[in-house]
Amino acid sequence: MYRNDPILPTFALILAAGLFYMAYLDGLHIARLLGHTPEELSVGQIGLMAFGAVFLLYGLIGLVSYWLEGIELRPGRHFPTPSTAPMVAGVILVLLLTALSGFFVRLLIYSAQTGHNPTWLQGLVFGAISLVVAVLLGIYKKFYGRDEVVTEEEKSHFPW
Amino acid sequence: MYKWLDERLDLTGLYQKVLRKAFPVHHSFFLGEITLFAFIVLVLTGIFLTLNFEPSIREVRLPDGRTVPAAYASVLYIDSLPFGAVIRSLHHWSAHVMIAAAFLHMLRILLSGAYKKPRELNYLVGLALLGLAVVTAFTGYALPYDNYAVTATRIGYGIAASIPWVGSTLAQVMFGGEFPGSEKAIPRLYSLHVLWLPLLLMALIGMHMAIMMKQKHTQPRYAERVAPGRILGVPMYPQQLVMMGILFALYVGIMTLIAGAFLAHPIEAFGPPTPNTPAVKPDWYFLWIYGILQIIPSTWEFHLFGATVGPEFIGGVVIPGILGLVGLLLPFLDTRKDKMRYMELPSQHPVRTSVILALLVFFLMTTLAGYKIDFQQQGSILGNNAVLWTLVLGGPLLTYIVSYTLLRIFYGRREEEALQ
Repeated sequence: MYRNDPILPTFALILAAGLFYMAYLDGLHIARLLGHTPEELSVGQIGLMAFGAVFLLYGLIGLVSYWLEGIELRPGRHFPTPSTAPMVAGVILVLLLTALSGFFVRLLIYSAQTGHNPTWLQGLVFGAISLVVAVLLGIYKKFYGRDEVVTEEEKSHFPW
Repeated sequence: MYKWLDERLDLTGLYQKVLRKAFPVHHSFFLGEITLFAFIVLVLTGIFLTLNFEPSIREVRLPDGRTVPAAYASVLYIDSLPFGAVIRSLHHWSAHVMIAAAFLHMLRILLSGAYKKPRELNYLVGLALLGLAVVTAFTGYALPYDNYAVTATRIGYGIAASIPWVGSTLAQVMFGGEFPGSEKAIPRLYSLHVLWLPLLLMALIGMHMAIMMKQKHTQPRYAERVAPGRILGVPMYPQQLVMMGILFALYVGIMTLIAGAFLAHPIEAFGPPTPNTPAVKPDWYFLWIYGILQIIPSTWEFHLFGATVGPEFIGGVVIPGILGLVGLLLPFLDTRKDKMRYMELPSQHPVRTSVILALLVFFLMTTLAGYKIDFQQQGSILGNNAVLWTLVLGGPLLTYIVSYTLLRIFYGRREEEALQ
């Protein structure tokens, strides 16, 4: 509650790992991942995994925020240092994004033609597309975005 | 183009007033954003589901010859579409994540004292949002009309109908008649789930945001040192929007991975409703209420003004109602005279922090009591009612004492040292 520290997000990630472990790590899930086998999750497993997902997201965005915005804000403008390496990484990621998008469309066509729905693969590819977008946005903000820290009056005339 | 629009709509004014708004930076603020993004994903995936779902229990014949309710058949159809099962699973998981994130967001508000003046009203709106999210999730639970969902929803129907004097009317409004059985039940729950409750949620979310913008965020404590008396943060556009974009992409990425790998409610495994009642439990966010119902003796019943007050009403309505009332009154009991600008540290408020931890243990222990029958079948000591009562009452009390003592020992001493 004092600063934008990396400690709580790190603990959140550890807690998320623990919750996922409690919820689902047994030998059966590997067999389940190999195809669309209807199998129920218990309400306890769903609850543990829902909290695990929130802690995972919280931990990740907390560490990203610490990386991109720092532990404390200081008023003023901050300009990034130009560099070639992030540009190369960006180009590679955009190529990966294009390949994944093409593969995802191919996967949908395959499912429509055969009636076979490999949900784990569909989720994996679509999820990967979204995660690549998140990394691209992170690279943009870290290496190309001009940052500004502002202060404002407590009283404002918005929204009324 | 921009100049043309600016001359007519004063876009520069909008930019200065709204898009330059300072957003304080602290990771705990993202819990509210995770809740919001879960809701957005719920709406987007819900739109897809409404295009293919049939809210009816009329009998239809499947290609394999089975006769099942139309709602059940339409969900099977959704699951057979390319990416359809993942979208439905994502909808299901997002509902769970929204409730879990809203709960953790509220926990942060409680631990940092952010419900105090001037944010009492917004705290109440947030509390209403959490309650409404749970009700919305509940109304969606029965829609696939499989054997499990129908049986689990029947527990909620029983609780609603058990409320003295108004129970049957409330059950009629929510379920359109007897559940299961009434043909109006699924259309009624469907209209509540896709129209009325989401509209109410959107209105309350809008109000929550507007009040937050007017009153400003609470700030991390270091801001008092860096920019005393002012709001310190990054502008909404572009910086905060980029951070929100990253979080949204992370949300969609991780939740789609989970939704694809772990189908939350595979209705083929449960089958259509049958006269045989499967052994079910309500969803995890109702499990603590279910646990209270499990340990309350059936003898707790009396008659009042012609109505029967039974254990179902006491455990399902009275006890959660008392907790809800305490939650509603909190900002008016724990007050401060000056405006609250900076987050309070939990370590500096040992009573409040210990009460919240005790409440968490109460929820955990009552959730554990929800497994009473399973414990009894295993022959575990936890199947004993006296043991469960001891855990439900003694666990929170012990947590409070231990937490308060530790906070006083470790942080009280630091305060004394600082004062010297």
